[in-house]
Amino acid sequence: MAGRGKLIAVIGDEDTCTGFLLGGIGELNKNRKPNFLVVEKDTSITEIEETFKSFLARNDIGIILINQFIAEMIRHAIDGHMQSIPAVLEIPSKEHPYDASKDSILRRAKGMFCAEDFR
Amino acid sequence: MDFAIHNSQSRTIVYAKMPPPLFTTRESEGSSTLLDEKLLRFMEQLELLEEKRASLNSLIEQGWFSMSKARYSMGNKHVSPLQYASEMEPLVLVHAKTLDSGELDFSTERFEQKCCKEVGADNRSIEEIGPQEKGVRRRIKPKEDITKKAVNEETSSENAPEVTPVTKSDQNLQQDPLKWFGILVPQSLKHAQLSFKQVLELSAEIATLQTAVLSTRQELKHSKKHKHEEASATQLDSVAD
Repeated sequence: MAGRGKLIAVIGDEDTCTGFLLGGIGELNKNRKPNFLVVEKDTSITEIEETFKSFLARNDIGIILINQFIAEMIRHAIDGHMQSIPAVLEIPSKEHPYDASKDSILRRAKGMFCAEDFR
Repeated sequence: MDFAIHNSQSRTIVYAKMPPPLFTTRESEGSSTLLDEKLLRFMEQLELLEEKRASLNSLIEQGWFSMSKARYSMGNKHVSPLQYASEMEPLVLVHAKTLDSGELDFSTERFEQKCCKEVGADNRSIEEIGPQEKGVRRRIKPKEDITKKAVNEETSSENAPEVTPVTKSDQNLQQDPLKWFGILVPQSLKHAQLSFKQVLELSAEIATLQTAVLSTRQELKHSKKHKHEEASATQLDSVAD
């Protein structure tokens, strides 16, 4: 397994997960937990947060793709993730377009500037 | 400003002592230039990130649109999580490499479907299943030969099933996900798959840029702190003098 790449995980609604699984990222077998979570109307925030934290704890996941509206539900968990791997990418959903002002990474980058910094 | 008055031979000379500069000019120029360079690099990275994000979002939307078209022609429930396979093997993986600068570089690796190779393996297995004995068999044989042949046939029949299940399970795992939705799928579903494949490659580039942006931000923060510390240290020295 040395040199084997890492997986791309996805936490998204039905269309998002179907699309990315079509792209070929899915892993599902008896031995390991799946690297995707289809979030439906009745999916609890606890389940989403636990899945996200389990993805962070795995050392075989390189990128986590998550719909931004789902990321908003677990914003505290995403903001608390400071490591470079796995990288967390917020993506739009059909009903919620991408909003750069809500993105954790861009907020962290934007937050560094204040009036004193330009003296 | 300090003043010193010197009286000599009915002339009054006033000396004015100018305060020393906040820090030496060369040092300030150096740290300011470094800061400017880092700030420019940060802005360029942010701009590039924004461009790639816009492409990613439009590709994802394109993919959804194609999926909706496929759903329209195939039926609502024929393009849904109900069609997912019970076992899946990833066809694309991501590699994270640490560069000399300490930044991470993400790149995707896509595996070709093993369908063609599996067909070859099946052919080989078919050949193995066939009679191993060469030549024409004789109908009437001595009893010893018959028992030996029976043993051989038993062993060959035992071996044959061992070969096929392995290849079948591999074939199912490495299957093109498009096949979950049927043998003949509409072109729109293939377009959707293509869009999402491009999205995955872009995702790796965006992940690289994000880590680069955050690392440049940290460098800028440290450089500013260092510059302020230098300035305050030089001020303290001049006050002490």
